[in-house]
Amino acid sequence: MTNTRDTNLHFHAELDGLERKVLSMVDRAEQMIEMAVQAVTKDDIDLAARVIALDDDIDRTYFEVHTEWTSLMARHQPLGSDLRRMTILLQLNVTFERMGDQCVNIAKIAQFNAGLPRVERICDQIREMGDLVRPMVRTAIEAYVRGDVDEARLLPAMDHPVDRLNANMYKETVAVRDNPQLLEWATKMMMASRALERVGDQAVDFAEQTAYLITGERAEFDEEGLARAFDGIDD
Amino acid sequence: MTKEQMTERMTDTTPPDKAPALITQFASDTAHKLPETVVPAMRTLDVDVYYGDFKAVREVSVGFGKNEITALIGPSGCGKSTVLRCLNRMNDLIPSARVDGDVFFHDKNIYDEDVDPVEIRRRIGMVFQKPNPFSKSIYDNVAWGAKINGFKGKKPEMDDLVERALVQAALWDEVKDKLGESGYSLSGGQQQRLCIARAVAPSPEVLLMDEPCSALDPIATLRIEELMLDLKERYTIVIVTHNMQQAARVSDRTAFFNVRLNEQGQRTGYLVEFNKTDQLFTSPNEKDTEDYITGRFG
Repeated sequence: MTNTRDTNLHFHAELDGLERKVLSMVDRAEQMIEMAVQAVTKDDIDLAARVIALDDDIDRTYFEVHTEWTSLMARHQPLGSDLRRMTILLQLNVTFERMGDQCVNIAKIAQFNAGLPRVERICDQIREMGDLVRPMVRTAIEAYVRGDVDEARLLPAMDHPVDRLNANMYKETVAVRDNPQLLEWATKMMMASRALERVGDQAVDFAEQTAYLITGERAEFDEEGLARAFDGIDD
Repeated sequence: MTKEQMTERMTDTTPPDKAPALITQFASDTAHKLPETVVPAMRTLDVDVYYGDFKAVREVSVGFGKNEITALIGPSGCGKSTVLRCLNRMNDLIPSARVDGDVFFHDKNIYDEDVDPVEIRRRIGMVFQKPNPFSKSIYDNVAWGAKINGFKGKKPEMDDLVERALVQAALWDEVKDKLGESGYSLSGGQQQRLCIARAVAPSPEVLLMDEPCSALDPIATLRIEELMLDLKERYTIVIVTHNMQQAARVSDRTAFFNVRLNEQGQRTGYLVEFNKTDQLFTSPNEKDTEDYITGRFG
């Protein structure tokens, strides 16, 4: 076959528009992660309130995307890579909505913890997790936009230190058990850590979806995938 | 070969692994082979179809799983209907048509000189694009299919056969009180189910359907599709359809045909991909298939 032309132009234009709308959420999601981490580590309840307000934007876009997605599916019944792209956009929409929810959880912790005594070492750890998770979200989205399966496969390696820091948070919390107020604060910070760890997992899940879109094969980024991702990394 | 010998040959239940190698393997293209776990009801091997000097289809090697529905899809002129008609020698009726290669049914090439094409068409029935009932009663439409294939039973046996065929075609409840009325008195969807009843009356093993729903409304289409899913318990079905969603809904496997210009500027159809239907419509192996099912096609 030569001279391939698109006989499904209107559908593909609508699909492109839907994709742009979904991807418009990535900047807000990154911004919310940064703001939520700042709010919870700097005791900033005004910033926490702004994070909660920003989530309304994400929720609004989520519902719009869901409505348009359903309409596109009902009208066009896409197949092949179009179907896989539709599937991944639905997943990405849910991923952003849940990332927003995790940021709201962190913001609410900031409000709850306001005025309580704090441990700077734990705050540093939460900041470090935030600094690790935001590039994960960005990398997962860029892998999708570029159709780069190798870039998608980087995600498990990026997630590894996030998991390690999250696991360490329990030890940090136990270390302050003798001070009830600090323990209350640290227990909530452990939940903030867990929320950031979930954001990292969502980025990995999304990268797996991206690999499916590109290759057409379902693959979980398991230990083998992790080993592949670590290939060529020195430390 | 007499009809009796032919019947005996066709009901031979020799396991595939005991049959001669030539007819149990696709010599030229293993990519289109059925999985070993699927028993083929029919197979083609390097089939070329000509209309005069024009090669309409080239080198089709594909298997049709027993009690499966196989959909043949592709753009106009890709030869999918031509291939379908090869499967019960319907192309014999076109004077200029010639088939090279083999079409195996029970490990017998149906194009061998000793094969009776009428018997082939009894064993491999066909339903056409447009409902084509005869200008006879509903009863006689169904009975004809059996009579022309040598049914010699008396009236009670024929009554049973007609009822059985109409039940299988999911039409009995709607027509049991008006069997004497003309087939034309039925709606389009009912007429098509009447044609299916006529096709199943001689107890075929394979049903070929050439765009059986293209003249029907969406509800009648869904009824035929539901019927196909019921019928595959008993028959092997091969369907040509322009409707990809229909192929996706009803078939177990799908063969995608494409068409390409040859050196003489003639459009020749060929098999691009044969795959499980869910695989072909979500992650096809071939770029041409992907382009076709997503509408990027020229």
